[in-house]
Amino acid sequence: MEGVAMKLPSFKSLAPTAISVASTFSIRRSLSFARRSSSLSAATITADSEPVSLGHRARKDFRILHQEVNGSKLVYLDSAATSQKPAAVLEALQNYYEFYNSNVHRGIHYLSAKATDEFELARKKVARFINASDSREIVFTRNATEAINLVAYSWGLSNLKPGDEVILTVAEHHSCIVPWQIVSQKTGAVLKFVTLNEDEVPDIDMLREMISEKTKLVAVHHVSNVLASSLPIEEIVVWAHEVGAKVLVDACQSVPHMVVDVQKLNADFLVASSHKMCGPTGIGFLYGKSDLLLAMPPFLGGGEMISDVFLDHSTYAEPPSRFEAGTPAIGEAIALGAACDYLSDIGMPKIHEYEVELAKYLYETLASVPDVRIYGPRPSESVQRAALCSFNVEGLHPTDLATFLDQQHGVAIRSGHHCAQPLHRYLGVNASARASLYFYNTKEDVDSFIVALADTVSFFNSFK
Amino acid sequence: MNSSSLNVLVSPPLISTSTPTLKAFHRPNFSSKPSKRISCMHDPSINLNFGSKSNPKHDFPVSFATAFVEAPLGTTTTTTTSSDKLHLLVSEFRSLAEPIDRVKRLLSYATALAPLDDSARVPANRVTGCTTQVWLEIKVDELGRMRFKADSDSEISKGFCSCLIWILDGAKPEEVMGVRGEDLSEMNVGVHGKVQSRVNTWHNVLMSMQKRTKALVGDADVVHREGDRSAPHQHNLLFDYVNGRSYVESASKVHRDYSISVLPLGYDFTI
Repeated sequence: MEGVAMKLPSFKSLAPTAISVASTFSIRRSLSFARRSSSLSAATITADSEPVSLGHRARKDFRILHQEVNGSKLVYLDSAATSQKPAAVLEALQNYYEFYNSNVHRGIHYLSAKATDEFELARKKVARFINASDSREIVFTRNATEAINLVAYSWGLSNLKPGDEVILTVAEHHSCIVPWQIVSQKTGAVLKFVTLNEDEVPDIDMLREMISEKTKLVAVHHVSNVLASSLPIEEIVVWAHEVGAKVLVDACQSVPHMVVDVQKLNADFLVASSHKMCGPTGIGFLYGKSDLLLAMPPFLGGGEMISDVFLDHSTYAEPPSRFEAGTPAIGEAIALGAACDYLSDIGMPKIHEYEVELAKYLYETLASVPDVRIYGPRPSESVQRAALCSFNVEGLHPTDLATFLDQQHGVAIRSGHHCAQPLHRYLGVNASARASLYFYNTKEDVDSFIVALADTVSFFNSFK
Repeated sequence: MNSSSLNVLVSPPLISTSTPTLKAFHRPNFSSKPSKRISCMHDPSINLNFGSKSNPKHDFPVSFATAFVEAPLGTTTTTTTSSDKLHLLVSEFRSLAEPIDRVKRLLSYATALAPLDDSARVPANRVTGCTTQVWLEIKVDELGRMRFKADSDSEISKGFCSCLIWILDGAKPEEVMGVRGEDLSEMNVGVHGKVQSRVNTWHNVLMSMQKRTKALVGDADVVHREGDRSAPHQHNLLFDYVNGRSYVESASKVHRDYSISVLPLGYDFTI
């Protein structure tokens, strides 16, 4: 139940909810939990003693969640595929097009200067979000997939030689497998894959042993979109750097859900997609250490990335422009900046804490349904799962399950291989169903899902 | 609800319950008969409790073994064309207003699907592009008709296959080639809207049937209306993740084929 009036939420630091009319044009480095006034009313202390969860409060900002599908209330449990966008992000995008849309970087006139300022400000916001030291280490791309391809074609083609090794895991997303296959075919480099251990997480010991003098790159996920496990990136980076190898971190499932500090991780490359972190589609970014980017040749050629163009040759711009050919997704970048602001306002630690709780609840309730097999590690003291569960129900195809859940209950989950076919093959299944949560989901969403799941299972059982 | 009335309700439109083979099929008079059959099939007392979550148990006796049988060899089915059967099936599904009833009907057809030998479950028989696994076995019988058998790990896909096989098993190659993907999208089972990816199973199985029919029978005899697709995609692992074998060694096994489409079925891409 979404209450409009609410008590002061029980944050760790009890900062009173300040009403601030957040200006989209100013940098807000808020350490307190200030909120946008457009979405929430003033904190009214009511007689109601139940603190409203983050999920309930955040839902108000997402109009899309308040609809019916097929006659039932929508329960959106597919945020690992794409997240929903809060009103603030949509406003930022609309604002851009309505008030200052203009091409960036070369214009002289007012609108162009404003668009450029906002675009570069968005770059700063992203840099700040992941604690990069310089915003020139952020290259805007179309999405994380393009970012990985950028590294593969630009860094990979010029740095990989026959016999060089690239270490991946069997649990990687296709976007962190296929580009390396293509590049290793061209360069003669060899791909090596870390398999899973008995806890159904990539075997870290095996990874450590695989790293050798021949290793040039370790490309791994931070959080798995199927197993919900996380890898100890800091340690992996240490091992890789010992042999002079670089590390690329696929942070698509981590940046939206927890604090990711690239300086702390010390990763060489890190990629993420905007659309999984409350930002629009069509934009993502690559973080690369300055010295690495400086040494990399261009990926795509065209305008913006050049310094001087002659008929027979061209000179190239400094990074990040070198890797941003053509007119960028300006509005989308600005909206991504707004998404970073929105998330920072709530506070990534707060979001993560809420999701850890939700993840546990999801896992426990799902595990209590008979004949359900959840993939990935069991949550424990030392193992925290992401707020998603890929699972299979004995004797029921995940696609049939997802179809029925959608049709009869309005519950949106994903079924298939989740762009991780090798992982599914390794686990010995063709497909799985996946329910994934974000901070705008609530325990009630999980409850609806479980009830719907039980109904689905018994429906299909009645045909056996 | 006794089972005899259910048999009337759920058996496919043109097979009477007393004679299970297609021999008993009579060419329908489209103007009057389908509506009569539709009213027979649509029993208002079917348990429509699906909306209420309080009663998830559905006692739905499944006894459709007599419903679908392969046309026995030697049976002439010249009076029935695949096109007729397709139209009848479409009418049948259209008569079911509630999506859940369509799913139920499809699932009941799934149970009636003739079993596929394990020996037929080979990669060459895999229908590519489906989100579920579908195997399709196809041969030509001595009368020159196409014979199909199929199976899937998904019940809904099995239902699709069952319908397609009912339409096309025992058909002449030209009939097989004449079925269009758009006709199937009218079935609208289990999903909503015109543009759906779930229906791709229909499309992919039909494509596979047509492609392999053409290959078996030869281009000269067959009118192909759907457009050409290349050989089935070889689903080769491009790497071996057991230690030792390198990626480069496996590279030669890469089969360049781009025959899968993830674009939505039935969508009009013309400008």
